[in-house]
Formats: sequence, C-alpha cells, structure tokens
Amino acid sequence: MMDILFLLLSFFAILGAVGMVSLHQPVHSALSLILTIIAMAGLFALLSASFLFMVQIIIYAGAILTLFIFIIMFLNIKEANLPKEPNKNISLFLGSLVLLPINFLILRAFYKMPLHVKEVSSDFGKIKPLGMELFTHWLLPFELISILLLVALIGAVVFGRKEDA
Amino acid sequence: MITHSIFAYIVVAMILFSIGLLGVISRKNIFVIYMSIELMLNAINLIFVALSNYHNDMGSQVMAMMVIAIAAAEAGVFLSLIVVLYRRKKSLDSDLFRTLSQKEAV
Repeated sequence: MMDILFLLLSFFAILGAVGMVSLHQPVHSALSLILTIIAMAGLFALLSASFLFMVQIIIYAGAILTLFIFIIMFLNIKEANLPKEPNKNISLFLGSLVLLPINFLILRAFYKMPLHVKEVSSDFGKIKPLGMELFTHWLLPFELISILLLVALIGAVVFGRKEDA
Repeated sequence: MITHSIFAYIVVAMILFSIGLLGVISRKNIFVIYMSIELMLNAINLIFVALSNYHNDMGSQVMAMMVIAIAAAEAGVFLSLIVVLYRRKKSLDSDLFRTLSQKEAV
C-alpha cells in the first residue's frame, strides 16, 4: 500500500517538474509546479512529517504559488513579451545528458549507506515536539530568520515604490 | 518493499533537483528560472525530511522549515524585482538582468 502510494506520488512529482521545465507559457509552468508541490506534500506525509505536510500545503501551494500566479496574471503577459527559445528542447536534452553521470555518482555514494528505516516514535513529526525542538535547540536561527523576513519585506517595498515620489 | 529504505526518497529528490538545475541553466524565461529554484529548494527539503525519519531526530525538520521561510522571503524580493523589470522593459528575457551590472541608469 505504502509502495503504491509512494510510486504514484513520486510519478506525479516528476511529471509536474518535467512540465514545469518544458512548457512555454509561465502560467502552465506554475500550474505544473503546484502539482509537484502537492505530490511532495504527500511524500512528506509518507515520511510521517505531518506538520511539514500541512506547512507545505498551506505556505507553498496556498501562499507562495498563489502569489506567483497572481503576479503572472497581473503582468498580463502576451506572446510577444516572452523570450524566444527556438532550440529549448535540444538544450534541455543535452543538459539532462550532462547531468546524468553526476546523479549516478551521488546516488551510488548513497547506495552504499545502510539506509533502512527504523520505527519512529508515536509523536514524531507532530507540532508539539517540533516546536520544542525549535525553541530549545534552534532559537538563534529562528530569530535570524525573522530578521531575514523583515529585510526581505523592506526590500520588496523599496523595489516596488513609485519612481519620482 | 521499496519504502523500507529511504534510498527511494533520495532518488526522487535527486531527480527533482536535477530537473531544477536543468531549468536554471537552459531556460531564458525568468519566471521559469525562479520556479526551478523553488523546485531545487523543495528537493532539498525532501532529503532533509527523509534523513530526519532515518535518524529519528526532529532537527532536520526544523531545518526544512527554515528553508521554507527563506523561500518565502525570496519569493517577495524576486517577484517585486520581476515586476519592476517587466514594467520598464516589457519582456521576460533573463538576459535583461545584465543591466543590473551596468553603471548608468536604464
């Protein structure tokens, strides 16, 4: 049962990724990316990370990609505004041929490791132990992330204001 | 049984990461390049979560949450940059970012 679910979810994730890379219109790419993100949320659930499953669906599929599709619609992109890519498929094919041996080497290194899963504890991946971990061992990175978000907010405001104001 | 080992998850994550890298190096549309970066971040998240399951340790799930927060921050800055550039140049070609390295205002 787990195997069928895993194969189905990974198939949809890879299908969405391939569509995202190879489609011409940005809207179609964004919709394919949503397919990938949701399939990947399913993979997180299979790895018993239930809080990250919810975060993935709410933040990625719900917030970031909705913002993304909103921006694409807002810019009102015509066919003439897209860059010309006449030999896109050839470069994608050649690039995948170049990337294959690198993938093979890395996966061979992982294959030597004993990667069998053990039984996880019953509250693994729930929100309470994750919060305990976050606020005991990872407190300083958490605060730094808040500063990073503030800086990104100020940067977005500075970029987006009117020129001669 | 495939899912007795987390090697299968690492294979899927590597495939997704390679597709993202391919999108960054071979497309010219800046929207697709940005989405490929998001895809690479997601693939790394999958490896983090798989190794967290393997070590039975929540630390790398916290790491994955940090990656999601960084991706959200990146989304805000990158999208506003794209909007400004598109308003001026009326194109989505990534070669236009060459103007960021020139001295005079465009």
